[in-house]
Amino acid sequence: MKTLRIAVLVTLATATLLALRPGPAGAVPVFARKYGLNCTNCHSGFPRLNDWGQRFRANGYRLPGRENEEKTVLESPPPFALRTSYGYTHERFENGAEGTNASGFRVHGLDVLSAGVIAPHVSYLMVYPPQLAGSRGVQEQEGTIEMVSVVFSGLGSPWLNVRAGRFEPAYAAFSVKRHLTVTPYEVYEYAFPGGSPFSETQEGLEVTGSGRGFAYAAGLVNGSATNRPDDGPSDAYARAAMVIGAGEGQTAGQRVGVTGYFGRARPEGGIDALQTYSRFGVDASLNLKQVNLAAQWLYGQDQKALWGSETADDVCWSGFFAELSWQPLVECVAFARYDMVEGPEAIGQDVTRLTGGGRYYFADNLALHLEYSRRTLDSAASDDPTEDLATARLDFGF
Amino acid sequence: MKGRWAAPLLATVLVGLTLAWSTGALGQFLANGPLPPAPVPPDNPQTDTKVRLGAQLYFDTRLSADNTISCATCHDPKTGWANHNPTDTGIRGQVGGRNSGTILDAAHMRVQFWDGRAASLEEQALGPIHNPIEMGETLENVVRKLNAIPGYKAQFNAVFGTDVNTDGIAKAIAAFERTVISGPAPYDRWLAGEKSAMTSAALRGMNLFNGKGRCSPCHGGPAFSDQGYHNIGVGMDRKNPDLGREVVSKDPRDRGRFKTPGLRNCALTHPYLHDGSEKTLADVIAYYDRGGIANPNLDPLMLPLNLTLREKADLVAFLEALTGTQPNITPPALPEAGAAQEGGSR
Repeated sequence: MKTLRIAVLVTLATATLLALRPGPAGAVPVFARKYGLNCTNCHSGFPRLNDWGQRFRANGYRLPGRENEEKTVLESPPPFALRTSYGYTHERFENGAEGTNASGFRVHGLDVLSAGVIAPHVSYLMVYPPQLAGSRGVQEQEGTIEMVSVVFSGLGSPWLNVRAGRFEPAYAAFSVKRHLTVTPYEVYEYAFPGGSPFSETQEGLEVTGSGRGFAYAAGLVNGSATNRPDDGPSDAYARAAMVIGAGEGQTAGQRVGVTGYFGRARPEGGIDALQTYSRFGVDASLNLKQVNLAAQWLYGQDQKALWGSETADDVCWSGFFAELSWQPLVECVAFARYDMVEGPEAIGQDVTRLTGGGRYYFADNLALHLEYSRRTLDSAASDDPTEDLATARLDFGF
Repeated sequence: MKGRWAAPLLATVLVGLTLAWSTGALGQFLANGPLPPAPVPPDNPQTDTKVRLGAQLYFDTRLSADNTISCATCHDPKTGWANHNPTDTGIRGQVGGRNSGTILDAAHMRVQFWDGRAASLEEQALGPIHNPIEMGETLENVVRKLNAIPGYKAQFNAVFGTDVNTDGIAKAIAAFERTVISGPAPYDRWLAGEKSAMTSAALRGMNLFNGKGRCSPCHGGPAFSDQGYHNIGVGMDRKNPDLGREVVSKDPRDRGRFKTPGLRNCALTHPYLHDGSEKTLADVIAYYDRGGIANPNLDPLMLPLNLTLREKADLVAFLEALTGTQPNITPPALPEAGAAQEGGSR
């Protein structure tokens, strides 16, 4: 393992030095290579998408207005990309008088990504994290296909695009795959026992469209991981968003959105029947030059059996996060976020998280990521356990 | 067992990719490479005598109705083969509606004029002559006038084997314009390995040009133009905006679209945009930073850029690094008027 760590360190150090050399910033993953553009065309602080990148994604990974000039995967450079990160992480768990620490250098996962245009109105995206057995130097990773979807875009107009397969659904207004922080959005993670995080990728079908500052999405997906394969698509959702001013509300324009989600899930243990749950969310992404404020409020109402609760009523909870980011230069971005979830009254489990940090880009595709985060669980059953995470890592995409 | 192999494999892949990147195998796609030789149409090969004739015609005001305007009036070598007025003034003080594009490196553009109405330099060369606002002459009359000048008549016979005609005028001027080519710019020298050719600000600007500034999707290629047409909103908030390419194509989707100009030598050719509405490169960048002027046909790629002051200055530095060495061309001596030509044109 020591040899491996040295090898990885040498690799990343070499990459850093090469990235720092004078010259054009390396054109990186699939799309950047295809178009000969730098990552910052589509990302304001990779991996976060900017407005241009958002339009590109919404248009089925085709440059808006240039659809007729698009090259297919067969006419483009190999449509594969890699993303990984390596660095030092220190974690401390504290529960009353007890405390444990874990720290060290390690590889924080590896994603293999493939994407491209198959035909004039058809494209695809696949993200595959290969299986990595956990060890001291490598974070364990399950080898499953995280996303694989086919997008049928611009079917007659920009108002009709269809995405099918396993994808990142549009109801989560802020992508957890492309956000700035290592730590997750708590309100997206919050779920009844065995339930999937709100931001989890889903299998199903999604219809989207946009134009004149308005965007919508609606979908039918398989839903909770506790469901049986023969339960079929059990969840439905819809989202509408409006942007005021030029932009898509990513880093320009002011975006507000509402989301409604209705699903059915089997409780983890207990009665063996589908129970209903619903989510309602309001989100906003406000931009002033290099400053972005992203905020999400989410309300959940679940049938009590999903929580194993014996209360008379449904279980309700709500939460929000507000994330402020500032990108004074293309090479760096700073962020701070506050997460809060007020858990079901009968169960407790309120969560708060405070996160701060920054990213410095040696090159478009190589960032030094620094982050500190403290999570507190306000639980009736214990002494408000806390989790602290501090990490310094290199985030690398190729 | 799998874990033991996965990490070394990852390290190997990363080393391989890093090396491939450093050697350029998978490296930066240099869309904006050096200028290749200017294309020459098979029916108008370059000859020295034709180029000399074209140069005389280019600088000769006798091609205009009142003998006051030549090609060089609006495309002056002293001002980057363009003109520093927002829009140009033709015969009898008439003011045109568009900014004069530079002739410098125009041979690398597939079509000519802001709206692309001329498919070749030959076609472009005749346009201003019979444009009533610009040179205001009829083609028939200019042929008659030039045939009355012995020096021109002799040269046309030597070059084309005929007296002066419109086809010969177009071909000669176009042949001359194909010699108006800039030499290597600091950017080209940097590409060739002269690492000191560009300042650190220009290098940062280059990365912005290909990245956050989102310039290269339209200003890609050796001439820094995609040779396409785009509506970037310029003047679209006016009561009667210039319809641009739509006038030529009759396609409403082309409303407000104009040809992407090349950016080589742009530091010499202020003011900018098709209406000359932006005085400096910094002004142009500020315009793009705002995301253009909203209109139904605004290019979907036009979005606010959120550039900082330093980033704007870096982009200007890069654009200035696209100024190449200038062709050493001075106005030639013009053939003297024949007896019948003395005293006027019509």
